Amino acid sequence: MEHTSDLRAGERALVDCYERLAQVLREQRADLAPFEERNALKALAALWQVVNGLDLDPGQLYDLGV
Amino acid sequence: MHAYWNPRHETMSRDDLEALQTRKLRNLLEWTTTRVPWQAERLATAGVDAADIRTLDDLRRVPFLTREQWMQSQLDDPPYGGVLAAPPEAAIRYHTTSGTTGKTPIRALDSAKDWEWIAEMWCYAFWGFGVRPSDIVFFAFSYGTFVGFWGAHYACEKLGCLVLPGGNMTTEARVHLIVDAGATVVCSTPTYALRMAQEAQKLGIDLASGPVERVVLSGEPAGSIPATKALIEQQWGAKAGDTAGMTELGTVVMFECSHQPGGMHLIEDHYIEEVIDTETDEPVGYGELGERVVTSFGRGFIPVLRYRTGDLVVRVPSTQCSCGRTFDIYDGGIRGRVDDMKVVRGTNVYPRAVEAIVREYDAVDEFQIHLFTVEGTRDEIEVLVELPVDGGKRDEVLDELARRLSEAHEGLRMPVREVPEGSLPRFELKAKRVKDEREVWGGSGERKAM
Repeated sequence: MEHTSDLRAGERALVDCYERLAQVLREQRADLAPFEERNALKALAALWQVVNGLDLDPGQLYDLGV
Repeated sequence: MHAYWNPRHETMSRDDLEALQTRKLRNLLEWTTTRVPWQAERLATAGVDAADIRTLDDLRRVPFLTREQWMQSQLDDPPYGGVLAAPPEAAIRYHTTSGTTGKTPIRALDSAKDWEWIAEMWCYAFWGFGVRPSDIVFFAFSYGTFVGFWGAHYACEKLGCLVLPGGNMTTEARVHLIVDAGATVVCSTPTYALRMAQEAQKLGIDLASGPVERVVLSGEPAGSIPATKALIEQQWGAKAGDTAGMTELGTVVMFECSHQPGGMHLIEDHYIEEVIDTETDEPVGYGELGERVVTSFGRGFIPVLRYRTGDLVVRVPSTQCSCGRTFDIYDGGIRGRVDDMKVVRGTNVYPRAVEAIVREYDAVDEFQIHLFTVEGTRDEIEVLVELPVDGGKRDEVLDELARRLSEAHEGLRMPVREVPEGSLPRFELKAKRVKDEREVWGGSGERKAM
């Protein structure tokens, strides 16, 4: 995802969280216990709103079931 | 404390906003073409390719989507039609349109991410109207398959408010809970807000001196009718703010901010709103009445491109409001529906225009517009009212109301008739105050020529 240059530090950290969380769910989902997986998915759905609201393109998450 | 839910987007320049919308439109078209064969075929037939979208004007090449097309798709390919961009297993919730028009409802599915987005849209509205985490929010809502205030409920939880879900309760129980729990915000249809106020009066409860500071309205155009709104504000002793959305989009699309500019701001970073002439389909300018056509970026499960809403609106620039948002405004909210106009002996009658006059008389508890045929040929219209006031004033109100209604409708005779208190239907959701009993004969929809 292309970052715009005018993100503040806190915003950039949230975008990084989103990307890291999506990566965990794509690559290590099978290792996660149900409570880890479902809470991570819920958090990802919320963080998607942040990234989408920062003038970025967070893509879609249906392949992850979100 | 921030004045805006998303300061970056709500105050961005119109040029930046258009650039954002254009980019999101391109992404939406790409997503739709890839994931929704039914839509892809329609777009291909129209020669639309996502890569060709360079400016917002390119949107006009996208074909309109009508409710009838959506319904036909649902009939051809039940239960959801060809509108889904993801498998039903990815959904977490099923909802339908309200079905108040008597038509088969549209069925919709949404995922977890979509539901977060649905709530997000309501957050723009609540925050913009001044609702904050310390508020106690009551929902006069039945929580069924109709999407209604579901998203609003989740938005208030997201904001950190204390939510009072008022489903499956009598009106009396709702009024008591509002008072007993110290609700500071009440969410309701305009009709039901008045209904609760009437109930409070019967119970000897003075809502105006209670803790409610804001009434958030939705579901009916009446939320932006000045007389109706003034009545609600007077009876509740609170600010009333309108919102509007639709199940086809899953959530709210526009909201009235705390500056109350006499209309609703469009959430333009998540939607493109067009206003078109209903006959020519050409765009109309600021200040002109037309039908709103909406394109939604947020609900990935059901991409919606250029949906003909049937809502009549007048768009004005954001500068009409002093709040600082750059989102344009629908002045006067939803002015009516393309299909709710009645023609009575050659005169156009809009239910909203009738309500705007009737609601100036706070002695009127409830009303109904009754259309019927006399001697098999002549259309007549009358307004039925419940008027629980003393004798002398009653005749005065009836006469004055009839005269004003007639004057507002090119002299069309529109008598006002009193009916017993409690005899007219009450509504919790979308009110249906037009009872059309005219005789329609000849071909389908054909009416006898006068």
